[in-house]
Amino acid sequence: MNILFMMDRRANAGSIQAVASYVRAGDELGHTIAVYGQPDPKYLGIRWSTEFDSFDHVVFVCEFGIGWMSALRMSRILTQVPRKKRAVLDADGMYNPVVCVDMYDRNHADEHNRARWVAHCDAVADKIFQPTLEPLNAAVLPLPFYGYDPTLRLELGARPKSFDIVHLGHNWWRWREVSSRVLPAIERIRPKLDGVCFVGLWWDMVPAGAREQNLEMAFEFDMDRFRRLGIDVKPAVPFTEVVSAMSEGRVNIMTQRPLFRRLKLLTAKYFEIFCADTIPLVMLEPAHAESIYGPAGRELALHGNISDKLLDVIQNPLRYRQIVEAVRIHLVDCHSYHRRLQQLVDALRS
Amino acid sequence: MKLLFVSRLERGVRAVRALTRYAEIGKRLGHEVAMFGEPRADFPSVPHSMDIEAFDFAVFVIYEAHDFPDLPHLAYLLDRMPKERRIVIDCTGTYNETITVEHDCNHFVQLNGHESWEWIEGFEAVASKILQPTLTPLREDVRSFLFFAYDPSTEARPYRSPQEAAAAWSGPNGASKPYGVIYVGHNWERWDQLRRFFEALEPARSRIGAIHLRGWAWDHRPDWAVEHGFQGVDVDLDFLKRAGVETGGPIAFDEVVALQGQARFCPIFHRPLFNQLGLVTNRTFETFCSDTLPLLMLPERVVESIHGHDALRLRPGDDVARRLEDMMRRPEFYWEAVLKTRAHLAAHHSYERRFEELMTILEN
Repeated sequence: MNILFMMDRRANAGSIQAVASYVRAGDELGHTIAVYGQPDPKYLGIRWSTEFDSFDHVVFVCEFGIGWMSALRMSRILTQVPRKKRAVLDADGMYNPVVCVDMYDRNHADEHNRARWVAHCDAVADKIFQPTLEPLNAAVLPLPFYGYDPTLRLELGARPKSFDIVHLGHNWWRWREVSSRVLPAIERIRPKLDGVCFVGLWWDMVPAGAREQNLEMAFEFDMDRFRRLGIDVKPAVPFTEVVSAMSEGRVNIMTQRPLFRRLKLLTAKYFEIFCADTIPLVMLEPAHAESIYGPAGRELALHGNISDKLLDVIQNPLRYRQIVEAVRIHLVDCHSYHRRLQQLVDALRS
Repeated sequence: MKLLFVSRLERGVRAVRALTRYAEIGKRLGHEVAMFGEPRADFPSVPHSMDIEAFDFAVFVIYEAHDFPDLPHLAYLLDRMPKERRIVIDCTGTYNETITVEHDCNHFVQLNGHESWEWIEGFEAVASKILQPTLTPLREDVRSFLFFAYDPSTEARPYRSPQEAAAAWSGPNGASKPYGVIYVGHNWERWDQLRRFFEALEPARSRIGAIHLRGWAWDHRPDWAVEHGFQGVDVDLDFLKRAGVETGGPIAFDEVVALQGQARFCPIFHRPLFNQLGLVTNRTFETFCSDTLPLLMLPERVVESIHGHDALRLRPGDDVARRLEDMMRRPEFYWEAVLKTRAHLAAHHSYERRFEELMTILEN
């Protein structure tokens, strides 16, 4: 099957790593996977195309913003690709009722915004996928979409360790969890830790336009607190350098925005972090961690006493490396992109 | 003929003046003209409709990607109006390969993410015919259609003779108007020309009178422009202060003719890109409706081919201050050019004429 992805072109965010893995898996399995657009050297490993005729299906990978689905771009697709060949992957759980978690994170600011978003997607396709096994909306089809790509794996010792702890991800609805759980835990054990680093956008600035869109809360940060805790902030890295940047840390912490946790949405980070030469700790409920990572995944769920867990991992790396290896075996068996691609093909055919 | 115009209608930008004229004059000529969309309280006299199938043609008037309707309305349009009955009027020459003139360009990829191929393929998907408001389209598959036009019924003061016009213009004491110069237009790829113009006025400033600059972003440089290093909205507030130019915000389209009439002179500028492509705008024609002496800051070929030979007198040439001094000395001579140009525009560039041209294109 030939599948064309359409998505917002961002080298340091979103689903681009996953799509690169789909391209690789497709080549190995005899499917042709490409992304809509013209070749761009910044996107290593991506195949590009603008020839709709060459593809059996077009999959729109939608995140928070849909501005990239401009009418100019959409007019060509709407006139040249039959509706039955189009599908939407709703990566951010936008195709749902308005969901607001603890008066903080939310998928839509209000009902008007939700209706506009849903109408937009309904105009594009009948098939709406979400990367969760438990969609809220009966009209949504579950599709894990993100997977584990062992070809990205960095072997033990591949990168020198500059930090004890790395957190790689953008500051987008993460501050509440980071400030209330991660930072206090780090503070308690800070003298026992070497470097700590946050990699990504908006840990030290609010982007232009956030206030106008009433999104300042999504970008809250406190650089003074970071300074007091001796936490470095590094800019976002392109998808091709994510695994390498994670591998600079003995331990990597994965946080997830509250909305995603509520909706049990998978992201590329769930699996990418296991490609790095590091010990991943994921801020998920143990049962959810086990459901994704297998029984060993419980050991890597960061909950309860975070300080003690961090120290335990740093002081007992051999034990945790064995746990991580067990998870990797599970990921290869259950969450490879070969499997994901077959699931996508089946979902598009159904 | 039943025409459904598709565009983003706002009271102070783009083709709002022309679209409202098409609606009104079309009705007078026995056509049915409406804008695609729900009725708008801020445009009570402009018919709106969502009943796509009730129209013969959909005419997309496009400046930027946002002028296409959002989904799902775009999908309805494309589903319910066959392609052979959809046309695009490309107001900014985007249906071309990328053309850069100074820092002006027909594809601002850093602002909207669309490269030339996407504009070209997008337009080709939407419409069977693509028109541009220039006499000299670059592409063979583009037809010339000036779209914008002159409406003599909106002339603020339809003088019968140059003497009458000059007398009214000069006033009893030679100073009938509060401003010497007004320019109404937004800060979009015009600053370099305006700066040169204001500099050129300097020797005669005290005799010309107050200068007023009216439109969006003349009093600040937007944050996003600073962030992206975008030069198209450059402005130098210190320079404007030194040059004695007062600035004001945007005004509604139906206030422009009257405001321009508050000044003795009103320059007409086109963006550098438009000068190169010969693209006309609403202001190309509308300024001649105001009770003012238009200053045609446009290429000679554009003036001669659009406004007619007499309008060449209204091109200030290289010595702007000297020409304005001459205009103040012998206003009859220049008002004669204005009145002849008005007559030329009424004969050759009226909305009635545009309807005829559009009908020919649509029926062909």
